[in-house]
Amino acid sequence: MIPSRVNGEACDRLMTLFCWGCALTLTLVLAAILGFLFFKGWHVLGPKLIFGEVRPLDALLFKKRVFSGLFPAALGTFCLICLAVGTALPLGLACGIYMAEYASNRVKSFFSLMVDILAAIPSIVVGLFGFSITVFLHHYFGGRILPCLGISGIALAFLVLPYIVKTTRIALEQIPLEIRMTGLSLGASPLQNLRHVLIPASLSDIMAGIVLAIGRCAEDTAVIMLTGVVATAGVPKSLFSPFEALPFFIYYTASEYSDPAELEAAYGAALILLAICTGLFIISFQIKRRYNSFN
Amino acid sequence: MKMKNTIKWTLVCMAAVLLPAVAGASALDTFKGESGTLRISGGTAHIPVMKEAAKRIMRFNPDISITIAGGGSGAGIKQVGEGLVDIGNSGRKPKPQEIEKYGLSMHKWAIDGVAPVVNPDNPVTALSSDQLRAVYAGKITSWKDLGGEDRGINLYTRDASSGTRSVFWKKALGKGDISGKANFVASNGAMKSAIGNDPYAIGYISVGYMDKSVAPVALDNVRPSLGSVKSGDYKVARGLYSNTKGEAKGLAAKFIAYLMSPEGQKIAAEKGFIPVN
Amino acid sequence: MDSGDRAARRLFFSAGLTCALAGLLVLGFMVVLGLPLIRSGMLWDILTGPWSPDHGQFGILAMAVGSVYIAGLSLIIAFPVSLGASLFIEVVRPRGAGRLLEWLVRLMTAIPTVIYGFVGIFLLVPLVRSFSGQGSGLCILTAALMLAVLICPTMILFFSRSIARVPRTWLDAVDAMGGTPYQKVRHIIFPAAWPGIVSGTVLAFGRAVGDTLIALMLGGNAVTLPESVLDSARTLTAHIALVIAADFDSLEFKTIFISGILLYVMTGLGILAARAAEKNL
Repeated sequence: MIPSRVNGEACDRLMTLFCWGCALTLTLVLAAILGFLFFKGWHVLGPKLIFGEVRPLDALLFKKRVFSGLFPAALGTFCLICLAVGTALPLGLACGIYMAEYASNRVKSFFSLMVDILAAIPSIVVGLFGFSITVFLHHYFGGRILPCLGISGIALAFLVLPYIVKTTRIALEQIPLEIRMTGLSLGASPLQNLRHVLIPASLSDIMAGIVLAIGRCAEDTAVIMLTGVVATAGVPKSLFSPFEALPFFIYYTASEYSDPAELEAAYGAALILLAICTGLFIISFQIKRRYNSFN
Repeated sequence: MKMKNTIKWTLVCMAAVLLPAVAGASALDTFKGESGTLRISGGTAHIPVMKEAAKRIMRFNPDISITIAGGGSGAGIKQVGEGLVDIGNSGRKPKPQEIEKYGLSMHKWAIDGVAPVVNPDNPVTALSSDQLRAVYAGKITSWKDLGGEDRGINLYTRDASSGTRSVFWKKALGKGDISGKANFVASNGAMKSAIGNDPYAIGYISVGYMDKSVAPVALDNVRPSLGSVKSGDYKVARGLYSNTKGEAKGLAAKFIAYLMSPEGQKIAAEKGFIPVN
Repeated sequence: MDSGDRAARRLFFSAGLTCALAGLLVLGFMVVLGLPLIRSGMLWDILTGPWSPDHGQFGILAMAVGSVYIAGLSLIIAFPVSLGASLFIEVVRPRGAGRLLEWLVRLMTAIPTVIYGFVGIFLLVPLVRSFSGQGSGLCILTAALMLAVLICPTMILFFSRSIARVPRTWLDAVDAMGGTPYQKVRHIIFPAAWPGIVSGTVLAFGRAVGDTLIALMLGGNAVTLPESVLDSARTLTAHIALVIAADFDSLEFKTIFISGILLYVMTGLGILAARAAEKNL
């Protein structure tokens, strides 16, 4: 096993060097990407970037429309998150509970395979699915259904569903046997045990998963591209209206900007989206660390 | 005849400058009491005018919301035909079979040219039609052969849905081949920023989109510009259309009427197009 | 109480079934909409032909090759870096730096793809253009470099998890025999963590094939078969995003469903392969 000490040491040093090299490369690349964005975008950050010429309070109360700010896009993203997570949450929770608590091994492995496949579907394909549903509904409801916020929200729900199922399932499965049995041994029914013991015990992990799912909704561009996001729409008025969204704004402006000021707004939007997504990530991380009692 | 034209244009321009104070408000007055959503998509050359008009209308009457998407002329025509949007813009005249299939009615509100453009740093500023055709067919591949640097030519083109592409292909390339090696961009705006960022690029954009970030290429010694399109010297020209399925109704009709009004026409002129009225 | 339990159980089961069938529903929709084309016998032409709408040709071979090319190259770039980084986290473990890197990698998973694409256009594209001395900078190499950054976290987290699973006692045995870290990695960790490394790589490949924004923004989207890494190319995902139309009649539009099915099958097989690899653990 130890052929020659000298040779071994050389290999050892080489490996350590290689690992340090990889670690540094990765850190530098990340620093370059983030540094570039900050360098180009930090000076446009401010209320004007979001609200344009309108007073923030007027915009927030929908008294005045914002034409040259990110407000409509930010609000569109917010609505999308609520819709998608709102749709996926009950379904995902129930599915995760079933898989962790009720399913037999065979059913469980089949379900988890299907959920994995769902998780692996490229988001543009989910978008295409959403688009085909729209055209389908459009033909069968006499032209009243058009690409819109509601459709995008539902399509996005397909995208985040597997995240929620997986985190719920894993969170429940991690609960130690003693805790699991205490309620039952006191005469609680499985449902009571679930409601009063298991779910409260795994709540922090589930919450952390939901926060990550929110981040996924905020960043996705491909799904909404095919299902109703547009360049200009203003504040979304109903579920059936087209909308703007932050990631699409960044994508669109990156190729369409007509003057440097517009491009700067895109840098600003990129920074804001980055802050939202990393912020959500850190929140999820903290929830998990602070409240997790089992590991 | 030419004299008459000049007088006409002077009058139009004067009207455009003088009227808004008086007539501008009246052009928007038709939107009073209206509400609802107007969906517009299609031609990307139209977008700056659409945005400005939409902004003025929505500022005048906040109950109206107007949404604008791109996609290209082909998508605009198909989407309006399928009833997915209320107005489908196209930078080419819809084909007879499209008009018949969807029962489109067309509204031409401006004239525009399609110009070959290069990066401002490129010394090549003029090409013959034959050279342009050879460049796009991938037969001339170096700027050196055209009097420029010894670097490969980076071709940029649009996808099949684009009206700008179909006009350029028909009138500038004589329906010649476009090399499969060309980079694809999705809109006039994207074309402009791509060419502005790539010193060895050639592409084509709507004359209304041209500014300092790109340099027009004279084609057979005619420099594409607002003036040469207007005078008819530059041949690669087209109308900008807004199409509706059947006769325009409701908000769509009012929006198109607004585009045709002196104020709407003035917006078109400000954004670099030639008004029709 | 008993009946309540049974009702709850039924409710949970139906939710589970819905989730399990959701993936099939997506596939079903694609197949139904692509069916006329599959039936018409033109499938072969579409899978192997060139894309040239001016000449009535709607083949997607170049896009399929583009997808595999870009994803494959990004994997080749990302694999060694990810392996090195995960060994850094799990084996070299310098005080503080190892944890810091792990945290950074986790943070990277939260960065939106559109931001990678955006930074790519304004930072990487000009760099590639000036270094390569030819082309526009919108090419396979640029897209693959940025995609590599995107898939690195997936691979690193997967690799380090499977390295961490190697029993501690085996490693202690090597230490006791006076083995070096290199020998530990070569003779114990690699053989034991191998299936995890394979399945992580396969999953990362699926992620790379399925990404839209980076290839769309940086790949150039040309429609011919690419010959070199500096050629512009279009992926299946970018193709779907670019062919926007609304009528069900045109052939052009139907081909995007074939593209969708291809992508679905590719990523689905990836999941099956990754699972098969992990079962050997």
